[in-house]
Amino acid sequence: MASGVATEQETTLHRELGRIVGESFVLGGTPERRKSERRKGKRKNQKERKTFADQLSDCAIDGVIPSAVVSPADEKEVAAILQFAGENDYNIVPQGAGTKQSIGATPQRVDILLRTHRMNEVLHYDAGDLTLSVEAGMTIAEVQGILAKNSQFLPLDPMLPERATIGGVLAANAHGPMRSGFGSVRDYCIGINFVTGDGKTAKGGGKVVKNVAGYDLMKLIIGSMGTLAVITSANFKVFPLPKQTRTFILDCSDLATAIAQRDRIIASPLAPMCLELVSPRAHEYLSAKSEVRDPDHYAPQQGMKRAEVYSLVVRAGGSDAVLNRYRKDLGEAVSRELAGAEEIKVWQRLSNFEDSIRTRHFNCMVVNAGVAPSGVRAAYEAAEQSALEHNLLSASIGRAATGSLTFAFVPLGVDPPNAMQFANVASSLRSRLPKGSAAVVVRCPLEAKERFDVWGSSANDMALMREVRAAMDPKNILNRGRFVV
Amino acid sequence: MQRPLSSGLCYNLRIPMQFHRLVKQLKKIVGKDGVLDHPEDLMLYEYDGGVDRGTPQAVCFPQTTEQVSQIARLATKENVPIVPRGAGTGLSGGAIARQGGIVIGFSRMNKILEIDIPSQRAVVQPGVVNLDLTHAVESRGYYFAPDPSSQKACTIGGNVAENSGGPHTLANGVTVNHVTGLEVVLPGGRIVEFGGKAAESCGYDMTGFFVGSEGTLGIATKITVRLTKLPEAVATLLAVFNTVDDAANSVVAITAASITPAALEMLDGWTLRAVEAATHAGYPLDSGAVLLIELEGLREAVDENADAVREICLRVGARGVRRAADEKERQLLWSGRKNAFGAVGRISPSYYVQDGVIPRTKIPQTLRKIGEIGRKYDLQIGNIFHAGDGNLHPLILFDTRDREQTKRTLAAGQEILEYCVSVGGSITGEHGVGMEKMAAMPVMFSEDDIDVMTRLRNVFNPAGTLNPQKLFPTTRSCRETYSPGHPSVGGPNATSEIHGAD
Ligand SMILES: Cc1cc2nc3c(=O)[nH]c(=O)nc-3n(C[C@H](O)[C@H](O)[C@H](O)COP(=O)(O)OP(=O)(O)OC[C@H]3O[C@@H](n4cnc5c(N)ncnc54)[C@H](O)[C@@H]3O)c2cc1C
Repeated sequence: MASGVATEQETTLHRELGRIVGESFVLGGTPERRKSERRKGKRKNQKERKTFADQLSDCAIDGVIPSAVVSPADEKEVAAILQFAGENDYNIVPQGAGTKQSIGATPQRVDILLRTHRMNEVLHYDAGDLTLSVEAGMTIAEVQGILAKNSQFLPLDPMLPERATIGGVLAANAHGPMRSGFGSVRDYCIGINFVTGDGKTAKGGGKVVKNVAGYDLMKLIIGSMGTLAVITSANFKVFPLPKQTRTFILDCSDLATAIAQRDRIIASPLAPMCLELVSPRAHEYLSAKSEVRDPDHYAPQQGMKRAEVYSLVVRAGGSDAVLNRYRKDLGEAVSRELAGAEEIKVWQRLSNFEDSIRTRHFNCMVVNAGVAPSGVRAAYEAAEQSALEHNLLSASIGRAATGSLTFAFVPLGVDPPNAMQFANVASSLRSRLPKGSAAVVVRCPLEAKERFDVWGSSANDMALMREVRAAMDPKNILNRGRFVV
Repeated sequence: MQRPLSSGLCYNLRIPMQFHRLVKQLKKIVGKDGVLDHPEDLMLYEYDGGVDRGTPQAVCFPQTTEQVSQIARLATKENVPIVPRGAGTGLSGGAIARQGGIVIGFSRMNKILEIDIPSQRAVVQPGVVNLDLTHAVESRGYYFAPDPSSQKACTIGGNVAENSGGPHTLANGVTVNHVTGLEVVLPGGRIVEFGGKAAESCGYDMTGFFVGSEGTLGIATKITVRLTKLPEAVATLLAVFNTVDDAANSVVAITAASITPAALEMLDGWTLRAVEAATHAGYPLDSGAVLLIELEGLREAVDENADAVREICLRVGARGVRRAADEKERQLLWSGRKNAFGAVGRISPSYYVQDGVIPRTKIPQTLRKIGEIGRKYDLQIGNIFHAGDGNLHPLILFDTRDREQTKRTLAAGQEILEYCVSVGGSITGEHGVGMEKMAAMPVMFSEDDIDVMTRLRNVFNPAGTLNPQKLFPTTRSCRETYSPGHPSVGGPNATSEIHGAD
């Protein structure tokens, strides 16, 4: 639905949303509304009005422009919007900062884009108890900033922390390298407040670190991709910041050696915070960002210095004695040791790997795979092989000990890729992964998306998941058609 | 929109002929020796770790998932309740056949199906005893981290249903943090799979959602668990205090100092004296409270943290801090903690175990409040609990034969739970709601919260025939109408088997 052409229905949509949140927090609207805006602000010239339409198209999800963008101030307004949408069969897409909006099937239609950025307060922080409650729209970086004042943190390091919000990260169950040592957000989210598809405000869990009262709704809603409820706030168990950290890089000549080193570390008493495995081609995307002029045609340059090694990147925290123990036990295998700003940069880049790929290649495909720890080697090989087979290049990183991996597929410089190539590489990868693995395509060119299922098969009973979905969103208005359809 | 449980649920069971037919069909499914229906046999299945009672009409012992599925299908067809049961050590009445029906016991589904060390996983049947799994993998340097004090008896199926914790789950997490996959039989008999060995799967986290559902969503028939590496070093400290306040403040200080012990347990003066009399663990009789603190991990880190913890305790007011010199002394110190419930059982005919949780910063004031409540109702309350995560276990001593005292006990229990919630806590940290705390659910959850949970229950268990009348408040105004026959209590009879084994 093009945003400029306002239908009767759209007029009602914007008016009603305005009634709920206040006009200034609704984007998009009718010619009348725009006219009145022009009257109010005389300076609103042609250019500004264009910006206004641009703003809507900037919010497009997979190219689908929303009819309205609404920014509620609190849980009550969220509930009112959902009730209103349910009554009128408006399709809603909840959104934090949109850093992961490329995940999921292309929506047929987006009536309301519900943005959570105004809900960004700390509701409760008991530093002595190491517990925190924050609203869904607060960014990860803001949360970390608040916790850092008490030398605490959330071991949550997904990509683009300055933009990514708590709600979005929970909904997508996003994670970064620290998932290795601290578990996923499922392991330290202790309570969740949300609004169901039919506008019921409810919660699960609580504010204490141990609690089995009632069903564990945190588990259900985390990773539900905004299809069960709109998350309005969440409670966490937070962690003390390690006094100091060091990073040890183990460059290995091939995958087998790297896996052997990983196995040695897993079997040892060492318990690193992070343990990443970087494939040879992935190094390029972890180096300083080069100027990318034409992301449509970016390709690794001939003759560019490229590390031909698989690297294990190990991060440890603790006292001097503990770090010395790491040095001693990792021993000869360590190629480099990093500290300070240099160390921080490496981990930021590992967190931002997907974004780094995206900014260099418009035509890229990124897959998040979950494999059993014993299947990591086979999975890296599967990515390489599948890329080779379909004339693409693969770059892989991942949590080598837990089996949470990210595979990127990018085109060769010479021929522009076609949509089928991406669909084929996805199916080839899936068929090669060890049984019981998951491979979700989190980013790929739009034309390719239509040709295959970005989710792949699920280890969970599909029929039951659909029923769960219907129980939480009876009118099917939340992210319709994108996930568990 | 709570769907009321059908009132004629056990109608056919009251007709002996129909029931006889049902038993015959059960025998066809699991074999003649796999079904109990004589009253004297059924008596053993009337209670769990508490003394809430309810008699099933039959108990059956399937050996395969397929048999469980057939039993579930049969029960649904006949509209008869089914109640899964592990070892029956639960403390909230979860495994009790409250409305009669069929109890499914898992003692014949007790095999470890697979141990996969390279992936740090094991696949087990639900009847595997918690500690048996650890024994099976110990020699390879691994263990199953959740360690309820009942771990010599309780089953992994029961752990999954209750999302059980234990003294050592402070650093390592409770059961849900250690389960990655499940095979589940739904009440209608359908067999479904959730997750697997991979830590990440596509779709909703059905595995995580199922854990802690107290046998109200489905019957777990196969469980994939994470195995944890045994720590290289362990330090066990006993810190002795003159007052409960000093001990409680030390817990707050240790947490605030960013040290996460593997275990941080507290016994108050009254409890430690009861324990000392029974086990001679070496707790000083004239002390006001002791903390049992265990640190695990890399040798260097354990030594540093042990020193830091000792310093904190002494600074806050500990009379002394002792570090166990060897494994023998360590076991001795733990024996007091592990046998505590049994020791209390020697003193009092019954006790009511509470399981409330509070923010750790609120421990001192909450213990004072519990003291006040004890005085107000004229009851002896002992405190022994997982202090590190604020999970209290007040033990209210009473005698079930004394009706008036029993009433006061219940009232005191409810008041403690309400206080826990009022300071931001929870009514249960690990024992579950079961039938014991149904009435307290509305203290924590709104009608809408409970409505959402009910809708989800109805997806899995639409007729409510699986473990009926558990977890959910029975009516909207349940707080007024709920009146349990007995409080959930443990006494020498109910739990002696476990203590004996501990
Ligand atoms: C002395 C003592 C100490 C204890 N210490 C602790 C402790 O430290 N921490 C702690 O958390 N708990 C503790 N408990 C409580 C209890 O041991 C745990 O809740 C345990 O997990 C119950 O296991 P079980 O096999 O005995 O289950 P049961 O009591 O038989 O059943 C418990 C619940 O699980 C359900 N269930 C059983 N099997 C299945 C299945 N296969 N599928 C679906 N549902 C199923 C039942 O229906 C019931 O609702 C203690 C109990 C005692 C008596």
